[in-house]
Amino acid sequence: MQSSFSYRNYFPSFLIAAFLSISLVIFLPSCNRGGQNAGNAITVGVVLPITGREGKPGQYQKEGIELAIKQINDAGGIMVKDKNKKLPVKEVFYDDGSDQAKSASLVERAMSSDNATAVLGGYSTALGEAESVMADRYQTPWITTGAAASTIFSHGYQYTFGTLSPTTLLGSTTADFLGSLVDQGKLKKGLKLALALENTDHGIDYGNGIKQWIQQHPGYFTVVFSENFELGSPDFSGLLQKVKAAKADIFLADAHLQDYITMQRQYLQSGMYHQMLSYGARGPESDARKALGDGTDYIFAGIWWSKKLPYPQVKKFVQDYTQFTGHDPDSWYPATAYDAVRALAQAIEAAGTTNKTAIRDALRNVELKDSLLPGGTMKFGSNGQVANAFVIVQNKPEDKVDIVYPKDAATGEAIAPTPRKK
Amino acid sequence: MTAVDFLNLLIAAVLLAGIYAVMSVGMTVIYGVMKIVNLAHAGFMMLGAYFAYEFFERFHIDPLIGAALALPAFFLFGMAVHWLLIRWLPKSDQPTLSSLLLMFAFWLVLQNIGYLFWGNMDRSIFTPRTLTVLTLGPISISLLRLIVFFAAVLCVCALQLALSRSWYGRAMRALIQNPYAAQITGVDDERIARITFGLGTAFAGFAGALLAMLYSFSPDFGRPFLIRAFVIIVLGGLESVSGVAFGALVLALVETFSILYVPAGYQPAISFGLLVVVLLVFPKGIGGLLERKWRPA
Repeated sequence: MQSSFSYRNYFPSFLIAAFLSISLVIFLPSCNRGGQNAGNAITVGVVLPITGREGKPGQYQKEGIELAIKQINDAGGIMVKDKNKKLPVKEVFYDDGSDQAKSASLVERAMSSDNATAVLGGYSTALGEAESVMADRYQTPWITTGAAASTIFSHGYQYTFGTLSPTTLLGSTTADFLGSLVDQGKLKKGLKLALALENTDHGIDYGNGIKQWIQQHPGYFTVVFSENFELGSPDFSGLLQKVKAAKADIFLADAHLQDYITMQRQYLQSGMYHQMLSYGARGPESDARKALGDGTDYIFAGIWWSKKLPYPQVKKFVQDYTQFTGHDPDSWYPATAYDAVRALAQAIEAAGTTNKTAIRDALRNVELKDSLLPGGTMKFGSNGQVANAFVIVQNKPEDKVDIVYPKDAATGEAIAPTPRKK
Repeated sequence: MTAVDFLNLLIAAVLLAGIYAVMSVGMTVIYGVMKIVNLAHAGFMMLGAYFAYEFFERFHIDPLIGAALALPAFFLFGMAVHWLLIRWLPKSDQPTLSSLLLMFAFWLVLQNIGYLFWGNMDRSIFTPRTLTVLTLGPISISLLRLIVFFAAVLCVCALQLALSRSWYGRAMRALIQNPYAAQITGVDDERIARITFGLGTAFAGFAGALLAMLYSFSPDFGRPFLIRAFVIIVLGGLESVSGVAFGALVLALVETFSILYVPAGYQPAISFGLLVVVLLVFPKGIGGLLERKWRPA
């Protein structure tokens, strides 16, 4: 009797199953499990996107964290008094693929099955918000190195910390910088502002910061247009047309890197001009300058850190980072991550134990006196978030970037108004 | 809104429609013949973007030529993917779960291959054309968008012509209309399906290469376009190339002009609201509705 088995009947399901398995294996976050905290090392969970739309900043933050861990371990580790010895730091890394749901579950995994002493990560507000709920649930300190929206720090969470100053401060510093240009006579008083804000808490906070400053400083600027836009939109022509129609003098957008590149390209292609132009915390990134050439000249950005800050610790960090990674720090991303690890190490040492609640308490009192951040000192506020000043940088021709504000950190003069393209 | 503003927006919408049409047409032909919802379309577009990028970076070949080269290269690639994977899927005149899962998994594999080769850096193609603007009085048009639009229109028209004039096109349309009757009359469905998948992939690669001139891209590239491509092919009636052109124009007009009246943050809600309305009211798409209205009695 002939068998009814047909290779063709069975092959498809087999093939699909095989494919799904392969893709799952490839797609599963690249993880570097450190195993359980056996007492011979301090396990630190790191959850960041190194793939997906936030992959690049996430990669830079990972590099900042790993440099700090390497330096701590090279120096023998962190002194833990109740063990009477120095313990090395062991990193457990997970790539969340820029996915909110995955991000939260990986933090949960690091805090529960990996029993991490603390977890770092949460680049971008959306991912940070998703992760932030886990810290109090597992009573494990969580330090976000890349999320700044006030909503994360307004829930009263006890184990949540952040090394980025609030985005409202970014907005108010931006307005303060523009106000200083008015005071210097570079811009006229009473100029009209157009705001295009990404549809996230980050964008909302940025806009609020600007509007609050304007309320406190009447007569300087008026907002004639303010609207939110879709994150990751492939086309901004309608929005830009509305901005154009608003006839504003200054255009301030708050956007993530990809949106900044897309919007600025369309901005230039539609022949628009404003006296001053900013994309919030985005501006000097090398990707943008490569994508748009001199089309990014004179854009200014409020950033959490600049490699041009005139502190010896910044110079040393830039040197070490370049040696460690083989490339210069691109914008602020690695610095806040680097300082997060150092603050955690200082807190563990001060607590003298790996007890998570004791570390949480110590983090509240940490004062990093050789911080890379503007001001040179970093301290977590009562809500867990730092409040260091922002620096304003401006892109200049030939790929140069200068700190233009505040005055005491400036490496060059602000060019205002932006020269018109010939 | 002044007449100039309106005209500027209209031009922007039409140029956007060209981009939307070329990125959706490949998906439509594959769905039409094989009833496969090609979720890997975004992956093919991403590879198309890198294809043009590599030619540009390594050999200094103009990205437009790179896009033209992507057509035959991705045609062969698509035929290979069909031979390797698609032909084993069970045949059906309705989309099947297995085809959906297979294409989704294949998309993830392509994406991760992208990460393996190119990492997570955003890449872009910058040429002297990138920021060139044509000004006609108060109207300004991006040269690059115009070029991309004409390239897209040319390709969609060539495809439409090929489908209506060639034996392959007639066979393909026959398979779309009635696969069983087509097979009875001697149409080799396996061969046509292979060519169709190659063609759909070629268009995805071509679209990706064109879009690489307009946007920065990473291995995650294509996701927002894929969602819009769904809206367009549903609007266009799922199986028709001219319907796709129509759907692309409708979506681009709605997206561009709706922003004038509602905040830009609600743009996706408008697009997908349109999709829901079309699915509920005109399940065969707006193209199908017009076809019915104009069909001679």
